[in-house]
Amino acid sequence: MSKSDVVVIGNGFAGLMSALVSADQGKKVTLLSYGAGTFPLNSGVIDVLGYDDSGKAVANPAQAVGAVADEHPYKKIGTQALEESVKFFQDVVAAEGFPYVGSLNEQQWLITGVGTLKPSCLIPESMQGSKCFEASEIVLVGVKGLKDYYVDMVAENLAKELGNDKKYTVVTVDPHYKGARDLTTKDVASWMDTDAGYSDFVSQVKESAGAGKVIVVPQILGLKGNVVWKKIVAELGCPVVETTAMPPSVNGLRLRDVLLSALKKKGITVIENSKAEEAVIEGSKAVAVKAGGEVRLQTYNADKFIVATGGFYSGGITMRDFGEAKEVIFGLPIECDCVEERWVNKQLFSDKKQTFAKTGVRVDATLRGVNESGNVVLQNVYVAGRNLSGYDFCFEHSGNGVALASAYKAAKA
Amino acid sequence: MVKDKATVVVVGGGATGVGILRDLSMRGIDALLIEKLDMVNGASSRYHGLLHSGARYAVRDQEAAKECIEENTILRRIGKSCVEAISGMFVQVEGDDPDFVDPWVKGCAESGIKTREMSKEEALRLEPNLSRKLVRAFEVPDGAIDGFRMSWQNVLSAARYGGRYKTYTELIKINVEGGAVKSITVRDNVTKEEYDIECEILVNAAGPWAGKVAQMAGLDCSVSPSKGTLIAFNQRISNRVVNRLRKPSNGDIFVPHGSITILGTSSITIPDPEDTSTSWDEVEELMKTGEGVFEHLRDYRILRVFAGSRPLYVPKGADGGRNASRGFVTLDHEKEDGLKGMMTICGGKFTTYRLMAEKFCDVLAPKLGNTAKCRTAEEDLVPAVSEADKKAARQYFPSYGVNLAATRLGTDKFPEVVKTLKENPETREVLCECENVTMAEVMRIAQEPTSHSVADVRRRTRLGMGTCQGNYCAIRSAAIANKLFKDKLEGCGDSLSDMKNFLQARWKGITPVMAGKTLREAEMTRGMYEVLFNVNGGRR
Repeated sequence: MSKSDVVVIGNGFAGLMSALVSADQGKKVTLLSYGAGTFPLNSGVIDVLGYDDSGKAVANPAQAVGAVADEHPYKKIGTQALEESVKFFQDVVAAEGFPYVGSLNEQQWLITGVGTLKPSCLIPESMQGSKCFEASEIVLVGVKGLKDYYVDMVAENLAKELGNDKKYTVVTVDPHYKGARDLTTKDVASWMDTDAGYSDFVSQVKESAGAGKVIVVPQILGLKGNVVWKKIVAELGCPVVETTAMPPSVNGLRLRDVLLSALKKKGITVIENSKAEEAVIEGSKAVAVKAGGEVRLQTYNADKFIVATGGFYSGGITMRDFGEAKEVIFGLPIECDCVEERWVNKQLFSDKKQTFAKTGVRVDATLRGVNESGNVVLQNVYVAGRNLSGYDFCFEHSGNGVALASAYKAAKA
Repeated sequence: MVKDKATVVVVGGGATGVGILRDLSMRGIDALLIEKLDMVNGASSRYHGLLHSGARYAVRDQEAAKECIEENTILRRIGKSCVEAISGMFVQVEGDDPDFVDPWVKGCAESGIKTREMSKEEALRLEPNLSRKLVRAFEVPDGAIDGFRMSWQNVLSAARYGGRYKTYTELIKINVEGGAVKSITVRDNVTKEEYDIECEILVNAAGPWAGKVAQMAGLDCSVSPSKGTLIAFNQRISNRVVNRLRKPSNGDIFVPHGSITILGTSSITIPDPEDTSTSWDEVEELMKTGEGVFEHLRDYRILRVFAGSRPLYVPKGADGGRNASRGFVTLDHEKEDGLKGMMTICGGKFTTYRLMAEKFCDVLAPKLGNTAKCRTAEEDLVPAVSEADKKAARQYFPSYGVNLAATRLGTDKFPEVVKTLKENPETREVLCECENVTMAEVMRIAQEPTSHSVADVRRRTRLGMGTCQGNYCAIRSAAIANKLFKDKLEGCGDSLSDMKNFLQARWKGITPVMAGKTLREAEMTRGMYEVLFNVNGGRR
């Protein structure tokens, strides 16, 4: 069994970025993958910090990140690593021909799949909801048979966000689908990737396009980067904006494809369908992880390990019973305030963070797990992404931002 | 102002009330049922859904056991579409009192309940998830029952005999003149209008609220609301009902329903029947006991925890809780308190709701000079949907959803929905994959006079009540409701609030079990609705 410099465990955004940054440092990298992380769920946009502790929208993410609480991962990562990571990411996606717009000094605004606005930091060109702010008419395009995109509801909520002095027009495109099942955005995006599908779509919305208007569409502009978006903007002669989408999100998959392509170019070894089950520890260092499928486990040796296995959703952190939270591979120390009065807010959507959501690995500024006295437990095991404790990414809208910056810092260490 | 009149007014839309409504209507007595909220919102839909064989009562209360087995047989016959005609098991595990078994077997035999002991091997083959610490196992004729649907079918059956019902109609005053009830004052909880209904006899069938109703007439009726907490799991843990073979206590019963299993129950005396809160301790107690029967219980995903209040009747001087009788009493307030025109029914359990209504109405009917015999055991609750209609439906429905929709909609509405599906392909969209609910069905149920809000439509159709806990259908139902029922149903017009309220209602049942795989589901729900859809709104 050959040995790598770095083994990255996890195939989500934090895992892929950890692998890319490590390889950029000249390291020999092996990535153990199992599942697709949250790409299909998060629409592939990089939220850095959307809302502060009181639930107020953050205008300048760089500034707000400097003011987070001590427990927050950003405090440990530091603003310098965050800034560098943003540049690194933008260079990677631009080199792959899928540029992201935005900076740490302002928010970008997305239109969500239900018509609300959402702040984010780095977004693909096709999702710039701010184009709607100045428009006099917004044309909302629905697709017949497309499930989970209700154009009337998007119109209702968008009008509440942007005001009624604009005109809102609804157009429904018929994809002439003859099958019996309901369509997803992925189905429609595949149709848009065909010449016939594209022409059919354009012919049905062309009349509604024009100067002063913005066309808002569900996340259907092809599965490959920004190819279809560029073409359709040129053809319709006005801005076209994609919303966020119910999983499986097309843009999440686009970003994933782009990053996997970059990984390949860097010569990173990706082991697919290989679930890391246990670690081999010697003294205060990990020497290997064992991973595999149902039949047998392979041993992967390395000098350094980056844990990017995610939180409760991805299974990197589990809690079989109240108070028994675990990091499943290395048994890293967990921060978990599991007290009945605080654990869950009675309100699902409230102006408070959820305590349970902050459960994760307790780390120091080097992003290594530390015990309660603050001493590093395993010298060569680093943590990135939702494995970390001390933040509620849903409340803050900070998921991919923490993932990116922590991946960068863990890989650089 | 008098706006309505009925010979008998029944207060309470739970199993007891609807059973009485049906019984009276079938005897030809003019009856009206009022319910302060939506139909069947209390314990009749908040229990484990066990169709008792009676075996649970075989040692302590053989009269109850006999009633159960007789009613079990009747309900299997008249309520086919509400009953899962599975059997049940009583299992003894290591540590349980071995001396409990013989008196139990004897008690079952004396009560007419067939039991069959099976070998440990057979029991584990039939139910492989059972604990390896199993000692003895017996088969009994338990079943599973959908309390919500059966109650509604009683209402629909009563309606065919002229019985009437008003939901969201709350009793606020009982008007007595010359020692007799003359009328009641009610409030329409939708329009807030108050008005009087004249009646000859007022029936208090308010379950755990019966004490409060009695108070309105200045009477004392001691009902001790006893809270039962239950846990719903995301799978069929067993194919049969599984009971612990020991003295009845908390967390003894597992009842499979469709694709889920319900574990129950606790028994805590509470002052307020509206209190359906649950704590970690209650959950832990149920889990701990349940683990004795299914050792991997903590690895199964919990869907939600919920609670209902049993209406236990406590004769003066007795204590409540698990020792209170599961039997029922009929109180004729003319005899007991000298107040004419009012009767109370109290206590009981779902399995015997029909018998309770029969015995109660046998006392009530003669007061009105009616000598008709009870016929509720003779006739099915609802006629079965025809095979021809189901066959036609299979062209448009996901085929395994046909039976689900047919039993929900019944003979009158099912063909109408199929017609809509045929004529309008867009209504074929499946809004809820878990429960197989199409847009056409939602549209039809929204037209019902009892559908005042989106929540009412959801309960009737089961839209969003399935195993995804509303993750996927919250957005769909909010969008559809706002498109189709704007200005018609309460709660429409603001899709974001509707979506949030819906998920919040589910959240209540999730918070006490926020551990294990439930955490995973919660992180996904929040990822979708907070991060992706930002339902709290944008430029705060």
